[in-house]
Amino acid sequence: MNSLLACQLTLLLLNADTASVDFFEAKIRPVFIEHCEKCHNSSKQQGGFRIDSKDNFFKGPDSGPIFNPTKPSESKLLKLLHYQSELKMPPKGKLPDQVINDISEWIIKGAQWPADLKKNPNSIASTNQDHWAFKPIKKPTPPKIAQNPIANNEIDLFIQAKLEQNKVSLSPQADKRTLIRRLYFVLIGLPPTPQEVESFLNDSDPQAYPKLVNRLLDSSHFGERWARHWLDLARYADNRGYIGVGVDRTYPYAYTFRDWVIQSFNNDLPYDKFLTYQIAADNPKSGAAKSDLAALGFFTVGRRFINNQNDIIDDRIDVLCRTTMGLTVTCARCHDHKYDPIPTKDYYSLYGVFASSQEPEDLPDLGLEGSGPEAQEFQLELAKLIKEKEKFETDNAEIKIKEPRKFSESIKPYDNRIKQLKSKHPGSPPKGMVLFDKPTPVEPVVFIRGNQGNRGPQVPRQFLEVVSGANRTPFKQGSGRLEAAHAIVSDKNTLTSRVWVNRVWAHVFGNPLVKTPSDFGVRSDPPSHPELLDFLASNLMEDHWSTKNLIRQMLLSSTFKQTSSPRSELQNNDPENSLLIRMNRRRLDFETMHDSMLAMAGTLEPGVGGRSVEMFTPPFSSKRALYAFIDRQNLPGVLRTFDFALPDTHSPQRFITSVPQQALYLLNSPFVQEQAAKFTLRFTNTDDYTEKVQAMYRVALQRSPTKEEVTSALEFVEASGPDGFKQLGQVLLASNAFQFID
Amino acid sequence: MLNRRMMLERSAMGMGALALGTMFQSANASEANPLAVRKPHFAAKAKRVIHLFMNGGPSHVDTFDPKPSLEKYAGKALPVDNPKTERKTGAAFPSPFKFQKYGQSGIEVSELFAKTAQHVDDMCIIRSMHANVPNHEPSLLLMNCGEARLIRPSMGSWLTYGLGTENQNLPGFIAMCPGGYPIQESQNWQAGFLPGIYQGTYIDTNQTEVNKLIENIRNKNLSLVKQRQQLDLLQKLNSLHVNDRSSDPILESRIQSFELAYRMQMDAADAFDVSKESKHVLEMYGPGVQARQILIARRLLERGVRFVQVWHGAGQPWDSHDDIEINHRRLAKECDQAIWALLSDLKQRGMLDDTLVIWGGEFGRTPTVELPTPGANAGKINGRDHNHHGFSMWLAGGGVKGGTVVGNTDEFGFAAQENKVHVHDLHATMLQLLGFDHEKLTYRYAGRDFRLTDVHGRVVEDIIA
Repeated sequence: MNSLLACQLTLLLLNADTASVDFFEAKIRPVFIEHCEKCHNSSKQQGGFRIDSKDNFFKGPDSGPIFNPTKPSESKLLKLLHYQSELKMPPKGKLPDQVINDISEWIIKGAQWPADLKKNPNSIASTNQDHWAFKPIKKPTPPKIAQNPIANNEIDLFIQAKLEQNKVSLSPQADKRTLIRRLYFVLIGLPPTPQEVESFLNDSDPQAYPKLVNRLLDSSHFGERWARHWLDLARYADNRGYIGVGVDRTYPYAYTFRDWVIQSFNNDLPYDKFLTYQIAADNPKSGAAKSDLAALGFFTVGRRFINNQNDIIDDRIDVLCRTTMGLTVTCARCHDHKYDPIPTKDYYSLYGVFASSQEPEDLPDLGLEGSGPEAQEFQLELAKLIKEKEKFETDNAEIKIKEPRKFSESIKPYDNRIKQLKSKHPGSPPKGMVLFDKPTPVEPVVFIRGNQGNRGPQVPRQFLEVVSGANRTPFKQGSGRLEAAHAIVSDKNTLTSRVWVNRVWAHVFGNPLVKTPSDFGVRSDPPSHPELLDFLASNLMEDHWSTKNLIRQMLLSSTFKQTSSPRSELQNNDPENSLLIRMNRRRLDFETMHDSMLAMAGTLEPGVGGRSVEMFTPPFSSKRALYAFIDRQNLPGVLRTFDFALPDTHSPQRFITSVPQQALYLLNSPFVQEQAAKFTLRFTNTDDYTEKVQAMYRVALQRSPTKEEVTSALEFVEASGPDGFKQLGQVLLASNAFQFID
Repeated sequence: MLNRRMMLERSAMGMGALALGTMFQSANASEANPLAVRKPHFAAKAKRVIHLFMNGGPSHVDTFDPKPSLEKYAGKALPVDNPKTERKTGAAFPSPFKFQKYGQSGIEVSELFAKTAQHVDDMCIIRSMHANVPNHEPSLLLMNCGEARLIRPSMGSWLTYGLGTENQNLPGFIAMCPGGYPIQESQNWQAGFLPGIYQGTYIDTNQTEVNKLIENIRNKNLSLVKQRQQLDLLQKLNSLHVNDRSSDPILESRIQSFELAYRMQMDAADAFDVSKESKHVLEMYGPGVQARQILIARRLLERGVRFVQVWHGAGQPWDSHDDIEINHRRLAKECDQAIWALLSDLKQRGMLDDTLVIWGGEFGRTPTVELPTPGANAGKINGRDHNHHGFSMWLAGGGVKGGTVVGNTDEFGFAAQENKVHVHDLHATMLQLLGFDHEKLTYRYAGRDFRLTDVHGRVVEDIIA
């Protein structure tokens, strides 16, 4: 505290007369610090008041200034201190008379408070100059490295250069067997078959590896794997959460958003368009097709907080800003962001955008009317229900006129049946969970301290100053969502491309370059490789925002192809392997584990897309875990146990825990036992136990067993009786060799 | 070899562990487990919590907050305006239950909890509780998570995050509710943005078979002996695998988790099997599902479970909008003896000193009678509406000042008046009793350091011994 005071003293000498400054520092500031700051500081603001800086003192609490510059003696502060108003300060007891006299004197003399030493931490322009993530992206030249026997592309130059600074080098390249398994899981989330492994091993073409990368990028399973990463960010679920007992919470069309994300990854929809459509596909100027309306599920698949509009909007602002730009804007709902240059006014500017958007009563068709038997069956049933409804209408034509209320009540069941059929039948035309603009946009006001009843100044609908600068213009087109989308994907935006590169990097390499993928604010750690991040971000934009090219670039690097064995060098200086001296070894997440087991059972359904299915009760579905119906209110225990993304808010990264409940699932769950049994049944074509064990290993672990492994397996099978092989099958599926990617 | 810190960060829980690793001093070598025991900020009496949740809202003027003044106005309007509650209420409605003084402290408790009241000298009754709104959903979330609507971790999750748990063979946080979920369902014990393992494990105590109580706790096809042989093979293959890979700790911790799982199967079965209790103990707790689940709770606490929440039942059983005399009498009868037995039992076992017992609902009820509302009550004019302005809760054990009353409500029991204790204050005090500065038990998420008490909370010193 002393040094702080000393600093402030030196500064104030420059701009205030010494006597009054001395008086303030000796008699006033210490009192404020001792008696007031506990409740009125940077982290706690009772009544919305801070007394720890000049600006804040004169601004006063929510209820208005406590210093009256025109009539100082009538300042509210004096009444508070003298215990003359209902509110008394400090609440714990009146200050000594001498202290009150000092403050009165200071107030009456005009409350001389020297300028604060620190510049306003919320000054947007100054933060922009200082914080790495707000600085413009300039494409750096890749560094020169001393030796690069294995370096393959620019990524390796950036990585190796840093390793060289630490007098170490990249690890050797992993063998082809390890690489194909690694590639399969990263790109499509499924293990390779023994045949696919063999053909890759036997392919002596130097281009075998890039060919494999391209083949997997072209697989329709690629979109499935990468869509799930996006759904974590979009807090995807198939229902709205608690709204009461006995009310249908289901989102029957959430799946159309999920399927749109899958297709977009498969088609390599440029990332700028990918974002734009999710924000404003309803706007004809967005360039979106009718089927892209499904993209708007990005906002609408969230929780509904028992229909509290302000919370719904808060959730949408959060999912938008953290997903696309790594900005924690919702911190500014009740007060200016404490660390980042995001004032409450900017929060309410975005609030206005969402308050000007609404969901229509009837969701629009996506123009993807199905064909085939299911669609025909649906049309027949629909026609039948419509006929029934029409018959009821004709039969009750009189009542319709005489007692319209009674009629509308009694026809409800007919409408409900039609609605149910449309939302449940697999052959019904898919609809988009859209947002449209309201006919008249809402002009937002600030809700002081987040309280809707406490209305502050009006603010225009416009984008964040930290991104669009002080000269930004208010939105003119409807709600402004399309203009917001343009601001997000603008090449001037310093965050969007960096944030996306960092997320993709984390999925490919197992660890992000910036440790907080959804918080690029001033409290975030700088990237481990800032130039590399900017290099890739520039490339992404130059390359028309192609996500597939970005991934390809990473996969073709030697950095990706390194072995994953821990090395003794750097283990103390870089325990998290952020310098990438080796590849990160990873455990399968819930979905890849689940899908791999179905693949082992030989029952995995290859079809892409479709309505969500119940996945956690028998009879078990054979679809990929991606297609599970996600109940956000009561998330199935197995998902929670395996660190599935919380579907209630944006999830930047999954946790990786190792807990006994996971092991219980692998040992005892009906699902795992069923897949193990089916897996074992695939090997009935031989009675030779050794051959059988070898075949099981090749399918499950993409390699042959060692002698020791064969012996152990045979001994176990002999000792275990008729179910021995089934149990062996389960052991392989539960083994670390199956559950980890080297 | 890799150091401990790395092991924690890499294998325990990636980024989340960073906060844990820097905030808490590790107590043993099993840091790879996010439930490993951790020390709180300072030494504290209470080490575990049992929360007896009377969901639906028990009436304080019929249980722990006598209001003789209501007699004067019986059937007449109170001389003050009835504060706004969920529905319209009318005349003063004196308690149909008799109050009497108990213990050396002479605190008055109604006949509904005559047995529990035998322990009044160990209890601190807070008569000045208050919450924000008179509706179940937000009040349940406020009581459990410190926030009425948004996604936040529940207090049980915060505690297991802060302290880990003493018994690795059982879940660290268990929520028991017979017959299904309470209102707002599993959100009441949510982990929110904390790792999923900190979420309460839900148990339907209407079930008696252990495999129906805990998911995947039994293998239907293999005996434990047979399973041990299978596990031995798995661990042999795993050790060959890890030996090839320079003993990577992320592999080691998964190997370890299988051993814990194997033991959990036996320990869990044992913990939930109340038939292992002596006849004397079973009789002490009495008959019925409340008795059984409260006894199970004691067995869990004894085995080192950190936080046990015992809900009275599915839905909102204590929500007596009508027939409060009949309903409250029935509800109290279901649990009074078992709560008395729990306190006696904990005391006898020397566990009351370091077990914090919390009793209460999400709010209380009006001292005035609820008026008929079509479609909302049975229109009998003999029940009470929700009341968040003032209600009672009590704490016992774990560093609580027994035989005391904290705060009061106004003359008629409508609103907290002196030494008001908000739900946030209760949370702050609870954390204090468990060794935490409630402002410092935080978790960084979405750019903010979140805590159970948000930006509120005052430690109520009068509660603490």
